[in-house]
Amino acid sequence: MKLDIIIAGVGGQGNLLASVALANYAMNKGLEVFGTETIGAAQRGGSVISHMRISDKKIYSPLVPQGSADILLGFEPVEAVRNIHFLSPKGKFIINNYPIPTVLCNMGMDQYPSEEEILNILRSRSPQGYVIDASEKAKEMGTLMMTNVIMLGALTGIEPFFDKQEMQIIIAELLPQKVLKNNLLAYEEGYKMITDSNAGLVTA
Amino acid sequence: MQKRKFIMGDDAMALGAIEAGVKVVTGYPGTPATEILEVIAKERPDLYVEWSSNEKVATEVAMGASLANMRTLAVMKHNGTNVATDMIMHFAFTGVKGGYVLVSADDPGANSSQNEEDTRILLHTYGHLPILDPASPEEAKEMMKNAFDLSEKTGSAYVLRPVMRVCHARAIIEEGESTAPDREPSFEPDRSRFVMSAVNEPKAGGKMRPMWRHELLNAKQEEYKEISEKSPFNWIEEGKGRTGFIGCGIGFAYIKEAFSHLDLNLPILKIGTLPLPPQKVRQFLKGLERVVVVEEIEPVVERMIKEICFEDGLKVEVLGREKFLPAEGELNTQIVLDAISKLGIKELPEEFKPFDKPKMPIRTRTQCVGCSHRSLLNAMKEVTRKYKGIVTGDIGCHDAGSFPPIELQSTIYCMGASIPMAAGLASTGLDRPVVAMIGDSTFFHMGLPGLVSASYNGANITVVIGENGTTAMTGFQPHAGSGVDVRENEVPKISIEAVAKAVGATVRTVNPYNIAETKKALEEAIKEKGVSVVVAKAPCFLRNSKSDQLFFTPRAVEVDVDRCNGCKICINDFGCPSLRYMDGKVSIDKATCVMCGMCADVCKRGAIV
Ligand SMILES: Cc1ncc(C[n+]2csc(CCOP(=O)(O)OP(=O)(O)O)c2C)c(N)n1
Repeated sequence: MKLDIIIAGVGGQGNLLASVALANYAMNKGLEVFGTETIGAAQRGGSVISHMRISDKKIYSPLVPQGSADILLGFEPVEAVRNIHFLSPKGKFIINNYPIPTVLCNMGMDQYPSEEEILNILRSRSPQGYVIDASEKAKEMGTLMMTNVIMLGALTGIEPFFDKQEMQIIIAELLPQKVLKNNLLAYEEGYKMITDSNAGLVTA
Repeated sequence: MQKRKFIMGDDAMALGAIEAGVKVVTGYPGTPATEILEVIAKERPDLYVEWSSNEKVATEVAMGASLANMRTLAVMKHNGTNVATDMIMHFAFTGVKGGYVLVSADDPGANSSQNEEDTRILLHTYGHLPILDPASPEEAKEMMKNAFDLSEKTGSAYVLRPVMRVCHARAIIEEGESTAPDREPSFEPDRSRFVMSAVNEPKAGGKMRPMWRHELLNAKQEEYKEISEKSPFNWIEEGKGRTGFIGCGIGFAYIKEAFSHLDLNLPILKIGTLPLPPQKVRQFLKGLERVVVVEEIEPVVERMIKEICFEDGLKVEVLGREKFLPAEGELNTQIVLDAISKLGIKELPEEFKPFDKPKMPIRTRTQCVGCSHRSLLNAMKEVTRKYKGIVTGDIGCHDAGSFPPIELQSTIYCMGASIPMAAGLASTGLDRPVVAMIGDSTFFHMGLPGLVSASYNGANITVVIGENGTTAMTGFQPHAGSGVDVRENEVPKISIEAVAKAVGATVRTVNPYNIAETKKALEEAIKEKGVSVVVAKAPCFLRNSKSDQLFFTPRAVEVDVDRCNGCKICINDFGCPSLRYMDGKVSIDKATCVMCGMCADVCKRGAIV
């Protein structure tokens, strides 16, 4: 088996915790794990892309090749589209519908694409994915910081390799005790966003 | 650390150095390899670890430790290797005692550097030092251990040159056996080696000592080649066909990955050392018509292979980054796949065909919400606009003031360049004030000699030092002006004001969150003759936001939509990411606003209250 995952977002969204959770999960299963992050600017506000590769064979490159990602987790819509070339035409995507405008968009010097444009590009690459309100939900539940666990919950909803219960244990090991309960509730919500209704489903 | 762990390449190299018994570790931050030093400092409180004030100092401290027969490690990136080059060119001649490993991390693609360089040229082609170039975090750890042993075996410093993608890859790493030597520090002078001077050397029949040392260094090359020949980091993978691939460092990983996607089985030569193993290369070239050299960044090995072909009169076509592969930037699997397709070896499946990436708005870097640099840059922008001032910039979080929307600094070069460049501009008699903008870590790194020189030469400039107490841009490493060391122990804090005064500059200290006070000080400084230093002092907000020693009084601000006329001063001259502009009005994003209230001070219409 092999599973290549791209997590695309902006600094401060918690990509790293998400990729460590995926790695720990796969390691527990005795699989090979290799990955890397590309941090556009070593600071908040820049693009951050995590490559996470899981396989039962030796993995040579930490970078997911173009067209090979089985899953694209877009923590931010523009960042997801920016990295769409990694997604396999057979792959799936989950996009957090929470645009973070760029400085230039704020200034009116650049145009943040419309939801329709973003969806069209996503659809043109892959026939299957979800657009969910992960950050809105996280905010509603107390803090934007929980966007990442909601996205992980959603991931267990679309990818059978990740068992919801087992992944929950892995996440619990990574989080500080005092935020754990709320985060696990958020994780559950993320899962439900995929499985309860098909509201976020995008098909070509 | 546990037995098997999912860790970064840097952590793996740190582990390798610890297993090899390193005793003294030095470096300067802001590199793909920064975490090597940080991890050692954290994991092993018993070892000596320092953030040096710059990379040259780091290599010199490490040399001192090596002379005391201890294993030592100096960590930097390509820019830092440039800074340290003078020292490096000297210890290449003298050799070392205790194992000396120099980590020179390269940043292909310049993901977080102001330029792109291949330090193999500087350190090997020019400096004649042996280099190990890892293909993966796992190999980087093994190379680190091996480099210490080889350094002591050959009596020369060894270079470990991980590229960013190896430093920042995460992989499963296993702990290994200790290879640490058991010995105490000791020192014995050996002046014919460790005194580099233009003097006649009796041991060499009266030859000039530098030339004699140069001869010894040249003679060493054969020994390095022998080592490369037997090195576990170079090998041949047999395959079919008359086209071979040579993978250097991480280039090997992309070749293997590409071949696995296409079920290819061409011969591969994996290279992890410089100098090359000449016999192994010759053995590989035998029977081949064509080789493709995959390496980051410059065609270093490619040219060496061409040289071997030339010497042996081999008719092998050698392709690589000189003409065939992209000459700049980071490699990846796709580049190797494209090469395979271009050579007609195999047709690419659909997913690897060229793909037109959609154009998305770019994300420029900016200061954090609440950062004191932003109000400082705003004050500087207003004052320099009024007096037609020119601002030379330096590297650090404030350098984003040179991008839109603020566009204040007109130059960014290497660390410390802002001050001498300002002096140079002013020296022409240009009838405009010139201001240099520099951070505090950079000031101690290389700003200081520039300030001394400007003062000595009577330059007419203003120097603004953004003193946030840390090396913020690179992840909050402390520096000489921080008052703490690498392990956060309290140490004497060197006062920038006192240093500037001692140099003969006039000094003003301001709180950059007080824009009016800052503008006043800047105006006075600009009008004054000589070198005027303005120290803008406020702790890094990102680092200190959770403490209660804020340098501003929090203010909840709102936009009065009737008063806002959409002039965008707050956006163009200040540019806080919490400010939004839509339909001719500004609004404040409450979710990210930290209530510094600076935008209210920037607004000329009193529309932010
Ligand atoms: C020779 C060299 N070494 C290291 C770096 C990496 N680097 C970029 S900016 C910077 C220092 C920033 O610190 P400071 O001057 O205090 O400014 P701040 O970011 O804190 O505002 C460093 C070390 C570099 N660019 N060049």
